Amino acid sequence: MDVAIVGLGMHPFGRTPTMSGLEQGAAAVREALADAGTDFKRMEFAFGGSQDSGNADSLVNLLGLTGLQFTNVANGCATGGSSLNAAYSAIKSGQYDVGLVVGFDKHDRGAFNPQPADWGLDDWYGETGLMLTTQYFGMKIQRYMHDHGISRETLLRVAEKAFRNGSLTPTAWRQTALSWEEIDNAPMVSEPLNKYMFCSPAEGGCALIVCRADIAHEFHPRPVYLKTAVVRSRNYGSFEVFSPAQPPEVADSPTVTASHAAFELAGVGPEDIDVAQLQDTEVGAEIMHMAENGFCDHGEQEQWLADGVTEIGGRLPVNTDGGCLANGEPVGASGLRQVHEICVQLRGDGGARQVPNEPKVGYTHVYGAPGISGVNILAR
Amino acid sequence: MAPADLGNQGTLWTWTIQSFMPKTPYHTDETPETFTPYGVGYVELACGLKVESRLRENTPEQLTIGMPMKMEMITVRKDEEGTDLLTFQFCAAEEQH
Repeated sequence: MDVAIVGLGMHPFGRTPTMSGLEQGAAAVREALADAGTDFKRMEFAFGGSQDSGNADSLVNLLGLTGLQFTNVANGCATGGSSLNAAYSAIKSGQYDVGLVVGFDKHDRGAFNPQPADWGLDDWYGETGLMLTTQYFGMKIQRYMHDHGISRETLLRVAEKAFRNGSLTPTAWRQTALSWEEIDNAPMVSEPLNKYMFCSPAEGGCALIVCRADIAHEFHPRPVYLKTAVVRSRNYGSFEVFSPAQPPEVADSPTVTASHAAFELAGVGPEDIDVAQLQDTEVGAEIMHMAENGFCDHGEQEQWLADGVTEIGGRLPVNTDGGCLANGEPVGASGLRQVHEICVQLRGDGGARQVPNEPKVGYTHVYGAPGISGVNILAR
Repeated sequence: MAPADLGNQGTLWTWTIQSFMPKTPYHTDETPETFTPYGVGYVELACGLKVESRLRENTPEQLTIGMPMKMEMITVRKDEEGTDLLTFQFCAAEEQH
C-alpha cells in the first residue's frame, strides 16, 4: 500500500510571542486538517515531537480527546523525519488508513547550550569551551573547503540565495533579501561562518495528514506520494558534532547512507529529482549536502553555485523557501517544513517561488546531532 | 586494552575560532569584558588519531591546515581552594612567519 500526503499545515516560523509552541503546533494541525477537508476525529494515529515545548500528545487537549494512538517522537533535528518515517510504516503495513504527523517548537533566542552529560561527555568538555555546535560546523566546512576547493564566494552565494528565496515565501521568518555586502560584512561567528551564514533557533509548527494512497482523493485532489522515508544514524568514523577525538579514517556521514538507501528504495536516482530541500543549518551544510546526497561530485558545488544550478529557475532548485537559513530552526518542526515545501512545489502552489515546468519528484534531507539523517522522496 | 603513548605533537587538520564568550557550561574566570577569543581545532597525531582541542592561536592569519602543532597545558580557572584547574591545548610548533 502506497502512502500519500493529503493535508499540509504550517504555523509561520519565526517569533510568535502570543502563542506557546504547543498552540503553534495545534494551529498547524488545524490548517492541515482543513487542507485535507477532514477533522481530528478521523485521525487514527499521530506521531509528533518537540524538543523544548512539551509533549506532543498534549495536543489532544487542544484538538480533541478522541482516544487515537499518539506517539511522541524525540530524535533531535530528525524528529520530523522520524515521525514521518513512523507514519509511513503505520500506513504501509496496513495497520492504519489515515493519520497525523506534527512537529512544533519554541526555543529561546541565541545558540542552544547543550550539557555534556546529555551527550555522554564529561564536564571538562563544556567547561573549557568545546561544547558549541557552531564550532563543529565551522571546522567541517573549513576542512571541506581545503579538500575540495570551495571558495568563500560560494558560501556567500548560498546565503544570498536563502534570503532571496525567503523574501518570496509568505511563511518564512526572514522575508528580506540581503545584499552581497550585507552578508559579506556580517560579524564572524565561527570561522569561516558569519552571522548570516547560520540559521537561528526559532518557533513554529508544521503538520501533515498522511493516508493510504487508494483513498487519497477523498481528501485532496492533488495528493503527493511519499515514495520512501529513511532515517539513519552515524557509522564509526563519521565526523560529527561533539567529538573529543576522531578516528584516523573518516567514514561517510549518515547523510550518505540515508541517501543511498532512499534512492534504492524509491527506485529513482539523483538525476530524477526536480526540487530538493537539503539541511542548511549553515551555508556549508547545504554545500556539503549537495554532494553527500549524490547530486554532484565533491567540489562541483563551486561551479554549480556560480552557474545558479540550485536557484529556483535552475536545474536542481534547492531550499526554495529559503531553508533553515530564512526560516530558522524550531527543531521539532523543521524537518516537516522541508516536506511541506516539497509538497507545495509538487502541487504547483509555490506562487512567487514556484519551480517552473511542473516538478514531479522532490527530495528532502535533514541532518542533525549527534549524527543522524533523514531522507524522504516524494512524487505526484 | 592497554595505554598507548600518542605523543604531544601533530598537524592541524581543521580549525575555527570561538569569537564570542560561550554560555554555560563554559566555566572559566573570564567575564564578557575580559573574554579572549580562542582557536578550536582537530590536531592529527602521528598515529592518525585526531584530537579536538583549544588552540592558542586565535586569528585566521595564524592558522593553516597542515601546520605543525604541539601540546601545552593551560589554566582554565581556580577552584574554590585556589588551586589551578588545568587543561590541554595545542599551539604552533614553530614560529609563524
